[in-house]
Amino acid sequence: MLEFKELSKTYDDGTEALKRVSFDVQDGEFLVIIGLSGSGKSTLLRCTNRLIDPTSGRIVWNGVDIAALPPKELRPVRRRIGMVFQHFNLVKRLSVMNNVLSGRLGYTDNWSSMTYRFSKEDRDNAMKSLERVGLTAQAFKRASELSGGQQQRVGIARALMQEPEIILADEPVASLDPVLAHTILGYLERLNREDKITVICSLHYLDLVQRYATRVIGLRDGEVVYRGTGEDIRRMTDAEFKEIYGEEAERVSAGPASVQGGAL
Amino acid sequence: MSSPTPRTAERTPLVPAPVAGVLSIVVPGLGQVLSRQVQRGALIFASAATMAAIFATRIADLGRRAEEGWPTVVRAFERRPFFAVVVLLSLLAIWLIGAWDAYRCAKERRRPVTGVFLFVLLGFFVLGWQISEINVVKMIREAPEALPPLSRVLWPWEAAFEYETEVLGAEAKILAGEGPGPERPPVVEGQPYLRSEPNFGRLSQQDENNRPVLGTRITVTGFDFAPNAATEIWWTDPIGNEFRPREAGEYIIVTTDDNGEFSFEMTMPYQLTPPSAEGPFLHTLDARQITEVGRPRPSEALRLTVARMIETIFMGMMATAFGIIFSIPVSFLAARNIMAGSRLTMAIYFITRTILNIVRSIEPLIWALIAVVWVGLGPFAGIVALTVHSIAALGKLYSEAIEGIDPGPIEAIQATGASRIQTIMFGVIPQMISPFISFSIYRWDINVRMSTVIGLVGGGGIGFLLVQYIRLLDYRSAGIAVWFIAVTVAILDYVSAEIRNRLM
Repeated sequence: MLEFKELSKTYDDGTEALKRVSFDVQDGEFLVIIGLSGSGKSTLLRCTNRLIDPTSGRIVWNGVDIAALPPKELRPVRRRIGMVFQHFNLVKRLSVMNNVLSGRLGYTDNWSSMTYRFSKEDRDNAMKSLERVGLTAQAFKRASELSGGQQQRVGIARALMQEPEIILADEPVASLDPVLAHTILGYLERLNREDKITVICSLHYLDLVQRYATRVIGLRDGEVVYRGTGEDIRRMTDAEFKEIYGEEAERVSAGPASVQGGAL
Repeated sequence: MSSPTPRTAERTPLVPAPVAGVLSIVVPGLGQVLSRQVQRGALIFASAATMAAIFATRIADLGRRAEEGWPTVVRAFERRPFFAVVVLLSLLAIWLIGAWDAYRCAKERRRPVTGVFLFVLLGFFVLGWQISEINVVKMIREAPEALPPLSRVLWPWEAAFEYETEVLGAEAKILAGEGPGPERPPVVEGQPYLRSEPNFGRLSQQDENNRPVLGTRITVTGFDFAPNAATEIWWTDPIGNEFRPREAGEYIIVTTDDNGEFSFEMTMPYQLTPPSAEGPFLHTLDARQITEVGRPRPSEALRLTVARMIETIFMGMMATAFGIIFSIPVSFLAARNIMAGSRLTMAIYFITRTILNIVRSIEPLIWALIAVVWVGLGPFAGIVALTVHSIAALGKLYSEAIEGIDPGPIEAIQATGASRIQTIMFGVIPQMISPFISFSIYRWDINVRMSTVIGLVGGGGIGFLLVQYIRLLDYRSAGIAVWFIAVTVAILDYVSAEIRNRLM
C-alpha cells in the first residue's frame, strides 16, 4: 500500500502545486488522477519517485517514508517504480534496445554502464519486454525513427525492465491520437491485471477514465476535490465531470466502437 | 489600447501645422518632433545632418587645390559635377519634403510622406559611390589588363610539370669595339653553326642625358639546326652576365625553316660592364633549341604546393583538436542551464560569455599577427591563431548545445534509479554527441579555409606560398596554389556537410 499523507509542494516561485493531499493507493489498483493542466497531477506523480522533492508531508510505501529518504537511499525505491511520460522521454539517439536496457540502470554498476554493457540476462529480458509491446522488429532502430505510439510502447518496455511494483504514468496518451490512446492504456491495463503492477496514471478525458480506472482521484488547484471508484465514475454525468474540471472540460469521442469508426 | 481617446490626446501636435513646416525648414526634423513623431524627426535630422557633413568634407577635399572659400566650392563642382549636383539636390529635397512631411504630420494625416526617405537613400548612395572611388569606366576600359594574370591563374597547369630538356646550340663570338672581329670557327659537317655579320660593333649605351644610343645592327644567320623549331637567342658578356636580348621589347625567338636555317637582324644590347673597363671585349651570342624529352614530372611549384597544402590541412586539424580540448571545459562555464545555480556561478557565466564574444569577434588574421610576434613565422603561429579563435567559437557553439539539451530523457533515466554517472552516460552524452561532432567538423572545415588565408600574414601553410608567388608576379604558380585551395575547400565543404547531415 502506498499512502500519501498531507503532502504539500510549494515551488521556489511561490506556486502551491499541492496542498496537503492525502489518499491511499491499494496494491494492484489502476488509479487515475484527473484534473486540468496545472492542477498538480504531474507534481504529485513526480513526488512519488522524488523527481521533485515535496515541501512537507509523507509518502509511505512498504513502511518507508519516500519523502524523507536522503538522495543516496533513493535508488532501491526508484528502481521498483517505473515511469511513463507524456513526451515519452526516450533518449532519441540511442537504439530502442539501449533505451529499454536503460530501465536496468538501477540494478547495474557504474563501470558496466560506462561502456553501455549489460548482462546477457538483461538483454534477453529486454527482448522479452519488447516482445510484450510488439516491437521486436524495431529493437535496433534508433528511437527517433519510431512513431509516437511506438515510442510510448518503448517507454512502457523500459518501465517494465525495472521489475516495478508501481508504474507512474504522467498523461501517457496526451500526445497521441485516440486510437493509440487505447492501445497504450491497453498495455498498461494488461500489466496491471497480469503482473499485478499498481498503476497510477493521470488522464484528461472522461471516456478513457471511465474505461480503465478502478479508482479515481480528482485534483483541482492542488487539492483533492473528488474520490470515487471505477463504478462511481462510470455513472458520472457530464455535469458532475464539469464540476471537477470547470467549464473547459471536454469529451473525446472515444470508446472502442466509435474509435474504429473514426479510424476508417 | 482600449479606447482611442488617450491615443489621440497623446498624438496632438504641440504646434500648428504651418509652424511645424517652417520649423522643419529651419532644422530638419524639428517639426516632426514637435508633432510627437520623435523617431521620425530624429531620423530625418540625423540623415540630413550626416549627409550635409560628409558632403561638406568631400567638397572641401575635391576643391582643395583652389583658394579657400567660394573658389573651393566652384572647383569641386567643376571636378565632379554629377556627384555634387545630385547630392545637393537630394539634400534640398530632404529639406523641402521634410518640411512638407512635418506639415502633414502636424495635420494628423494618417500617411506622412515616405518620399523623403527615398531621397535619403539616393543621397547616401551617390555619396557612397564617390567616397569609395567607384570607377566603372576604368574597370571596363582596362579589363584586358586583367586577362594575362587571370588566364594564368585560371589555367596554370603548364607550370605544374617540367621535362628533361636537351639543348642543341651553337655560338658566335662578337667583339665590342673596332674591327676586325675574332676569327670564326670552322664549319663542322652535321653540327649547327651560328654566324654574325659583322662580328664586331658598338654596344647600345646611354649618353650623358640618359638618352639611348643604339648599338650596331648585326645580322645573325644559323644553319644545320633542327628544322621548324623555336630557337632562343642568348647573350653572354665578357664577365659572364648571361641574358636574353630583346628586340622591340620582346625576347628574341626565331623559328628555323625546313632546312634548319634562320636569319634575323638585331641591335647589339646595352653595355653592362663599367665604362672604365679596358681591353678587348669578346661577347658570346648563342642560339639554343630546347627540346623536352622524357616524361613530365611535377614542377617545383607543384611539389611545394602539395607539401604546403598538406601542411595547411594539418594546421587546420591541429588547431581544431586543440580548440576542442580547451573549449569543452569552457563551454560548461558558458552554459546558462549549468551555471544557473547561484550568483557566483552566474557571474562566471557572464564573464566567460563576454570573453568568448570578444575573442571570437577578433578575426583569426589578427590573432595570427600577434602569434607571429609571439612564436615566430611558420605554421605554429597559424595554429596558435586558429586555436584561440576556435576555442571561442566552439565554446559558444558547445555551450548552446548544452543549453539545448532536452531535460525529459534525463528525468526518465533518473526515474529508473540511475546514478549520476549513469544519468550522464545515458541521458546527457547521447544528446550532446551529435552537435559536438557536427560543430567540430564544421570548425575543422572553417579552420582549413582560414589557414589558407592566415599564411598571408606569415602563419605558414599554403597562404604563405601563395603570397610569395603573387609578389613575384608568378601567376601560374599562384594559380596552382589557388586551384589546390579551391579543390580542397570544396571537398572539405562537401564532406563536412555530408557528415553533419548523416549525424542529424
